[in-house]
Amino acid sequence: MNFNSHIFGKTTFNTTENEKLIRRLKKETQKPVIGYLCCFAPPEIIAAAGAIPYRISGHPGSDTSKADAYVEPYGCTYVRSILARAAEGQLDFLDGLVISHSCDMVQRLYGIWTYYHPLNFSYLFNVPHQLTPWAKDFFKRELGFFREKLEQFTGQQVTTGALNETIGLYNKNRSLVRQIYELRKAAPPPVEGSEAFEILMAGGVLPADQYRTFLESALKNFQQRKPDPHQGPRIMIWGSIMDSPILFEVIEKAGGKVVCDDTCIGFRTWEKDVPQTADPYDGLTEHYFVNFQCPRTDRGPSVKRFNYLLERARAYRVDGVVGYIISFCDPHKFDYPDLRDYLKKEGLPLLLIDDNYSFEPLEALKTRLEAFMEMRK
Amino acid sequence: MTQSEMSRAKRHLETTKKMKEMLPRFFMRMMERKFSNEPVAWCMVGIPPELLKAFDLLFEWPENFGTMCASRQVAPYFIEVAENDGYSPELCSYVTNTMGYCRLFKEKGEAPEESPLPGGMGTPAMLLGSGFVCEPRWKWFQSIATRFFDIPVYSTDPLAPPWDVDPHDPRIEEHYLTLLREDLAGQIEFMEKQTGKKLDLDNLREIMERSHQALTYWRDTLALRRAIPSPMGSTDYFHAIIPQMYLVGDEDAVVFYREMYEEVRDRVERKMGVVEDEKYRLIWFGLPPWFNMGIFNYLESLGAVVAYESTYNVGDYFEVDLSDPLEAIVRRTWQRALKMHEYGSETMPELCNPAVFGGFSGSSLLEELVDQYSLNGALMHLTRSCRAVSFGEVHTKNRLAKINVPSLIFESDMADPRLWSDAQIKTRLHAFLETMDKAKQGGQINEL
Ligand code: SF4
Ligand code: SF4
Repeated sequence: MNFNSHIFGKTTFNTTENEKLIRRLKKETQKPVIGYLCCFAPPEIIAAAGAIPYRISGHPGSDTSKADAYVEPYGCTYVRSILARAAEGQLDFLDGLVISHSCDMVQRLYGIWTYYHPLNFSYLFNVPHQLTPWAKDFFKRELGFFREKLEQFTGQQVTTGALNETIGLYNKNRSLVRQIYELRKAAPPPVEGSEAFEILMAGGVLPADQYRTFLESALKNFQQRKPDPHQGPRIMIWGSIMDSPILFEVIEKAGGKVVCDDTCIGFRTWEKDVPQTADPYDGLTEHYFVNFQCPRTDRGPSVKRFNYLLERARAYRVDGVVGYIISFCDPHKFDYPDLRDYLKKEGLPLLLIDDNYSFEPLEALKTRLEAFMEMRK
Repeated sequence: MTQSEMSRAKRHLETTKKMKEMLPRFFMRMMERKFSNEPVAWCMVGIPPELLKAFDLLFEWPENFGTMCASRQVAPYFIEVAENDGYSPELCSYVTNTMGYCRLFKEKGEAPEESPLPGGMGTPAMLLGSGFVCEPRWKWFQSIATRFFDIPVYSTDPLAPPWDVDPHDPRIEEHYLTLLREDLAGQIEFMEKQTGKKLDLDNLREIMERSHQALTYWRDTLALRRAIPSPMGSTDYFHAIIPQMYLVGDEDAVVFYREMYEEVRDRVERKMGVVEDEKYRLIWFGLPPWFNMGIFNYLESLGAVVAYESTYNVGDYFEVDLSDPLEAIVRRTWQRALKMHEYGSETMPELCNPAVFGGFSGSSLLEELVDQYSLNGALMHLTRSCRAVSFGEVHTKNRLAKINVPSLIFESDMADPRLWSDAQIKTRLHAFLETMDKAKQGGQINEL
């Protein structure tokens, strides 16, 4: 199956489009492209150093056999997909790479990738796991080292002024994204989940000012749109990285309305602004380390760590949660039983989709989702 | 499930055989204390174990409990309980083993009778975790304290400079050492609060002196395995790590490792090998299959001996100035990070090992070991549920192929026997020995 074209025939802003766009941008601007995986290393700093930040995505369901020459079969297929793509030269537009130490797989991908396919610039952004004061200090120092490395590479100083300005631009986009999400609280929502998702995908490639124009016109369009009167169960998606709209579309086909999410690329990245602080690195630490809700960060025991999810579910009047976890994704798999029980107590069922990043067999996925939607009607 | 013919393992050293008397004595002492309701700390490899002794804590190692459950063949039962609770079979089987244990404990209000030790791991009063080496360790204790026991947790968070960052840059050094120091201070503060005791640094220093003495004997014993024929194999090796876990800082441990050293030295002098006719010398990568440790004896029956293991190896990073014992704990972590840096461990770009246990793969250390230990093949156990330790085996295989050392990667698990098949393993081992024969005769082994 070719995942590059939208499975239900809509026009999309998918990975392939993103890659065409980044190649064009690179040519037009003559700026280096720095790919990033996981968002602990702020794209704001990359942009302020005069490079184009680009969020690397995989190709769900694509052949990952090229990765077998370097890594074991047991491992997150998303990471394997990216490694295979790098090995095949599909990511040759990257001038540099920054990978954050988020989960084991991503961190180790860094070593293998840079050993076999070295790039002109690469940086492993180290991130502590708990939110102690000293871990925060470490994170802030790490931001400084990252900035220095980037400056050496691009030859452009990251001044406080330029950084603050970039943060401002990104925050503006965050507030636009939140406005789009706000519309989704309506019943029925004027925005399909898959549409909203594709808009977010564009945020991983478009420079902040262009993305702003894009978001503004999308927002206007949604504000004027008459929502599809069809009322399906309101769904929240929780889980591993999601860089393709397939799941959203299957849920829509099954009669559901995805109204919010808690995934990477999804709301996790846009939910809050970077606080504007006297020292911008304080604000970045607060945002990217403290506020960024990735389960790899230890927020202490007890189900309190899921409170934000329940709040979101209530705010968006969610009827059910679809959990999407990629095989071998430890951080999410560990949270599943606790989260399932917690949500159940609050009257929210969680359907777990355990997938190898291929969404196959698609029919079976559809059948399960249809049954779930039927139950939530 | 039919029992594998490899489920029983034979040790070769008198010293390790003696553990069968030594450890029960220790467990009895611990049990008496448990029954008088002293609080028990569940701990993770990666915390500085000397602190446990310095606080005179009662402790258990769920990881080690996992290995015991595996070798007594009860792990599958606990793992299944955890799976029914929603834990994926892909998750670390030490963890799922613990989760099953906890679930049963909670239902019954006491240790499940299937536990390999009477009283099992007891009821934990606190959790001392460590996030070194893998992600699951962060989630593991978090889930225990969420789901089963409402108790305080402290996890150490040691980080090391990635392999392409210069650790000798004074600013980088400060960046990391500051974190290590503050993290250790945080851990001690937690332990002081939980135990109501103040850490006695003089006591800690003495404990560390004994612990490092024991480690020195252990390290020197491992170096003796360079001898041909190799005087010690993996069944002894993997069991001999246990005293350092339970008896750390005890005189008993020093005696144990000294006696082991002397016994092995004596075997070297008398040219007493593990196998009579040593044909193949191997390096073992990854965690062992604790339920079928007889695999090593099976290999020995074919003339193959494992002379080096990548996991639980101590190196000599503990050779630090003990006058300030806290700084010494930080320094040994740092030294290990520096050492791995020199070798460039790209598959674990941030290997850092505070507990002087750990594993490595894919670094230039490989070439050194092949040379020093006269190795002619590598066996790599690809543990499905522990990707943290087995990650990098394919890359290691690539690196070894460059120096014409063949490797076999075979899949199974450290505690979960469900992927194991005697027949399949045997066929693969035999084929591998043939490949080694070819390589010895100068054949190319570059196939993947
Ligand atoms: S999907 Fe899971 S395992 Fe894969 S990169 Fe993300 S957090 Fe890591
Ligand atoms: S290193 Fe492996 S065996 Fe140890 S806790 Fe992590 S996943 Fe489990």
